[in-house]
Parts: sequence; structure tokens; C-alpha cells
Amino acid sequence: MLEIKDLKAAIKGKEILKGINLNVNNGEIHAIMGRNGSGKSTLANIIAGRDSYEVTDGNILYNNKSIIDDTPENRALEGIFMSFQYPVIIPGVNNAYFLKAALNAKRKHQGKPELDAVKFLDLIRKKLKIVGMGEKYLHRAVNDGFSGGEKKRNEILQMITLEPNLAILDETDSGLDIDALKIVAEGVNKYRSDDRAIIIITHYQRILRYLEVDHVHVLIDGRIAKSGGEELAETIEEKGYGWLDS
Amino acid sequence: MKFLEKEINKSPLFGLNGSDTIKSLQINAFKEFTRHGFPNRSWEDWKYSDFSLLNNMSFRFGLRKNISTLPNPFPEINNSNRIVFFNGYYQKDLSSISNQISIETIGETYKSNPELIHEIFSPHANPFHNINSAMINTGLTIIVNDNEIINEPIHIINYTSDIDEPIMNHPLFIMKIGNSSEATIIEHYYGSTNIEYWLNAVTKIELLKNSSLNHIRLQEDGNSSYHVADTEYILEKDAKLNAFHYVSGANKYRQNINVNLNDIGASSSINSLCLSKLKQQHDHFITVNHLKEKCISNQLFKYILSDASSGIFNGKVIVKKDAQQTNAKQTTRNLILNDKAVAHSNPQLEIYADDVKCSHGSSTGQLDDNAIFYMRSRGLDFKTAHLLLINGFAKEALKIISEKNINQYVNEQLSYWLENTGVT
Ligand SMILES: Nc1ncnc2c1ncn2[C@@H]1O[C@H](COP(=O)(O)OP(=O)(O)O)[C@@H](O)[C@H]1O
Ligand SMILES: [Mg+2]
Repeated sequence: MLEIKDLKAAIKGKEILKGINLNVNNGEIHAIMGRNGSGKSTLANIIAGRDSYEVTDGNILYNNKSIIDDTPENRALEGIFMSFQYPVIIPGVNNAYFLKAALNAKRKHQGKPELDAVKFLDLIRKKLKIVGMGEKYLHRAVNDGFSGGEKKRNEILQMITLEPNLAILDETDSGLDIDALKIVAEGVNKYRSDDRAIIIITHYQRILRYLEVDHVHVLIDGRIAKSGGEELAETIEEKGYGWLDS
Repeated sequence: MKFLEKEINKSPLFGLNGSDTIKSLQINAFKEFTRHGFPNRSWEDWKYSDFSLLNNMSFRFGLRKNISTLPNPFPEINNSNRIVFFNGYYQKDLSSISNQISIETIGETYKSNPELIHEIFSPHANPFHNINSAMINTGLTIIVNDNEIINEPIHIINYTSDIDEPIMNHPLFIMKIGNSSEATIIEHYYGSTNIEYWLNAVTKIELLKNSSLNHIRLQEDGNSSYHVADTEYILEKDAKLNAFHYVSGANKYRQNINVNLNDIGASSSINSLCLSKLKQQHDHFITVNHLKEKCISNQLFKYILSDASSGIFNGKVIVKKDAQQTNAKQTTRNLILNDKAVAHSNPQLEIYADDVKCSHGSSTGQLDDNAIFYMRSRGLDFKTAHLLLINGFAKEALKIISEKNINQYVNEQLSYWLENTGVT
């Protein structure tokens, strides 16, 4: 589904990603771990299409096609979703309106009829239950006045509503208490299927206890320093990252 | 200035039906104006609004025209009492108003309340107010009697169209809301012409004890017009004002707003949404006087500035010695859509009482790139993301409009404006 080939990227002339190679297949869950500043969010944002990063070399293939020149909206419509490490507040834009607009943009792209207000409400009520959010969140502005945990749940709500094929969760588990963590994990498990893939960026092994992860990668200074199975996450939990520094 | 001298006694209201006292007050007001002339940049309070260009222009009163069908396009607001002026002339056939509301001509008001007219026509610090007193050619008085609840909004439309030379209008609107009464009044200016014209309005609004008024001012004059306004609010004990000022029209616009919180417990909220594009200049100069204790005042002015437009805000909240337990807040927010657009904001506080809660602030910024990326990453296209975000910025100011049909009207105008303003 996703093939990243020798990806190099810079911000304001400073090289952040120094040659990333990563293959993600349908049905897989990958975890990416690494210290603060190692380039995890940069990688996620570049896959999602943020143009403030300059891709200097390499390529990203999604379903065998390069997406490197695609707009963020096109990538989203084609099924890529990033849960933001820091979800953005959009003052004055109603959460339900936003989600409905996003969903209908996607349905339109897929040649499906748009959902009217009633059908959308039916759908969104079910989704809200999954992430343990009340209906009041629909009437607020997007992420406005949401606590850290509420913002992260709102990201998962968007994910399970938009039903992407590739979901990248950038530290969605950070700052969550154990109950919220379980809810997020459950959302991810419900979302998981054979034709979808997930990349989880995390600091902690915590969330990995609730999910069955296929591959774990450690990012150090813009490079994948080590890849392995679930046991790699446990090793890092015990030993930290020091033993991987070159 | 010459053109004014030539036209002064041609106004259909000159002398308000032949009163010599009024004529001399008007000539006096004109003299007061000519002492300093049109304001220019050297006037401290007019620093950003140079109106000396009017010296080199020439405007006349429009020709009387009676029309029997609504002009097209017409800015309809459903379920309203309606009063239509066309190029300054009252249109009987197009107006309809419930008999719960008293309407007077300014001439009639002079007969019933000469002191009020004397006071309005006396020399004033604002030169345009003096011009209005001298040149007054249109307007009316709306009186809501005591203990009346008027449910349907009163929609006054000043429509300018179908002219072949530059015209001017100097309307005076007097509104009086009786004790414990409630009303919604829409003061609407609408232009459908590319020919230059000049509108110079004075509005005096009085809210008696325990009354409540929603005042909606919509300035949608033609893009080559000049609109100057002097708006005064006077609030008596426990009176409550909710005002919304929408500005999108005129090439050059200046409004002076005065709020006088005359007695205990009065409260005033004024929100404004100002949409500027091309080389439009939109200037608000607002003074709020807290004269007695326990009054509340709020202003929220939001500007959306595109192209090479400029948005100017000067606000002053004055809390007098007796005005203990005042609660005052003044905020301006500018959203700049183009590097060539500029905002000048200057909110000020002047406090002479000690037990008060006052705050003021202003901010100027561009659209948040993070928010745009966030929306696009959810599948919304570039333009939709921009429009949503700008709309979201504007929404806060619109909250003050409780009447559904008015809210809908303003929302439609906003959407139309956004659709026709290059989002790049
Ligand atoms: N907008 C930015 N401007 C300048 N430097 C940035 C910006 N965003 C990230 N960086 C730098 O890029 C590096 C990687 O950051 P990031 O991808 O956020 O790391 P991580 O998510 O692994 O903590 C850091 O050194 C960070 O300081
Ligand atoms: Mg990060």
C-alpha cells in the first residue's frame, strides 16, 4: 500500500529526514518509535502532504503511484489520513459541519451520493459512541476548548468516520489516561481490517499492549536505525534508545 | 464646499417647512462647518480618513422619483415592517408599517419636540454632523411608545440607484424606544450604481428606561460612493442595546459612534463585521461614555481586509468618576487576506473610577496555515478550506443578531462577498 523509498526532507534548509525506507502492506500495523526530534512527525506530515517541508530526494508510492506532487486534499480523498500530534483549533467552524463536509467531499470523490443532515446524524451518533464522546462535541467549533484527550478522541472520530485506507496516528496516545487510551485503542481495533493499514507513532509501549503490531521501527536522527517485531518495543521500554546510537 | 453653498436652500427640508429659527440654525451649522472645512490628515481624529477630496467634487440633491415596484436587486429581509427611500425620497407605495409604531417626518418632530431638533442642529464637533444639519434633505423619526413589544423588525432602506450624476443625501434618523419597550430596527444603506454619490447620515437613538433595542446597521452602498455617518446612542436606566454594524460598501467610509450610558444599569453591546476589498477604506471612530454606575459595554469589531483595502478602528471607553462597578470590554480583530491590505487599530481606555472591570485588545493576523492544512488533510479543497476559515472568523461577530431572518440575510451577504473576493 505504502512504499517509501530513500526519502530525504528538509525544513528551512536543515535536513531532517536522511533516507527513509519503509514498506507497509494491507492489513498491517506498524509502530514507529523514537526520541523527540528524531523526525517522526516530519515523516507523518510529509506523507499527508504538508508543503512546508521540502522533499529533497526519494519517493513515496501509495497504491503503486507516486503521491509526492499530490495536494493534501487529494491524498485524503484517496484514503490517507493523519491524526495530528497537535490537533488544530478552527475557531467558528462547527465540528459536525466540518466532519460532514469532509465526509461528503470523500463520498463525492468516490462517486457516492452525499449524506443529508439526517443520515449524517444517524451515522455520527454511532461513531461518537465508539470513541465515548457526547453529542455536545458536534455543536462546538472544531477542537475549540477541547482538552488534550478530547482532541485526540476527535481525531479518532474523524478517522472512523472518514474510513481511510492508510491511517497515521501521530502520538495519538500521548497525554491520555488509561481509559482514554483504551477507547482510542478500541477505535483503532474496530477500524482495522485486511484492506487497511495503520502507522502508529508513539513514545510508549503502552498502547501497543492493546494492539497487535506487526512491525516496530526505531527512528534515530532521520533514519530508521532498527526494525523488528513487537519485542523491539519491549526492549526499548527496558533499555531506552541509547544502545541504538551509532 | 462651493457646491454645498449652492445647494443649501434647495433641500426640500430646508427650514423644515418654513421655520426661520431652523433656517438660521442651519446656516449657523454650515458656518461652523466652513470654519474648518472637510477633515484631512492633519486632524488628529481623522488621521487615516482624508475627506478633503470632497472639496474638488460636486454633488447635487437627487431628482424626486416615485416608484411603484421594488427596485431590482432588492435587499429583502423577510417578515419586516418596511420603509423605503429611493435616492433620498420616501416611497409611500413600497413602504408598509404596523400601526403599533409611530412614524413622523423630521418636520413633524420639530413641531412636537423642537428642543430635540435644536439640540441636533446645534454646532457639533463632527464636521459632517454640521453638514447634515445644514443640508438635511431626508430622514424620519420612529417612535415606539411605552410598554410596546414590536416583534417584527422595522427595516428602513436607503436605496441609491438610477442616477446619472453624482448625488448627495443627508438623512437624519431619530429613533426613540419608549420605557419598557422592545424593538428591532434595521438601518440599511444599499446602492446599485457605479456613479459616485455621497451619503452623510446622522442617527440619534434614544433608549428610555428598561427598554431594549436591536439596532442593525447595514452599509452596502455602491463601491464608488462616500458614506459618512454619525451615530449616537443614549441609554437610560436599565436600557439594553444590542447593535450589529455590517459594513461592505462605499469606497470611503467613516462612522463616528457615540454611546452614552446615562443611567444606572444600562448595557450596550456593539458588534461589527467589516468586509473590505479593492481600495476601500472603512473607518470606525467610537466613543463609549460610562456616566453612571453598574453599566456594561461591549464592542467586538471584526475586519476582513482583502486586496489593498484598509480598516481603521479608533475606540475610546471613558469611565467617569461616578461610574463605579463598570464592566467594559473593547476588542478588534483584523484578518488580513492580502499583504497590501492594512489595519490600524487603536482601542483606548480612560478610567476615572476605581471599582471597574475594563479590558481592551486588538489583534491582526492572517489565515492560520495550520488550520488550512488540517482541513485539506481531511479532504476539503483549498478554496473551501479558506472560505470555511474566514467564515468561522466572521461568525463570532454575527452571534449578536438574534433575529433569524436578519441573521440569514447577513450570512448570505457574507457568503456572496467571500465568493466574489479573490481567495489566493
Ligand atoms: N516548522 C519547523 N521549523 C523548524 N524546525 C522544525 C520544524 N518542525 C520540526 N522541526 C525540527 O525538525 C526535527 C524533527 O522534528 P519532528 O519531526 O517534529 O520530530 P518528532 O516528531 O520525532 O519529535 C526537530 O529537530 C525539529 O526541531
Ligand atoms: Mg512529533
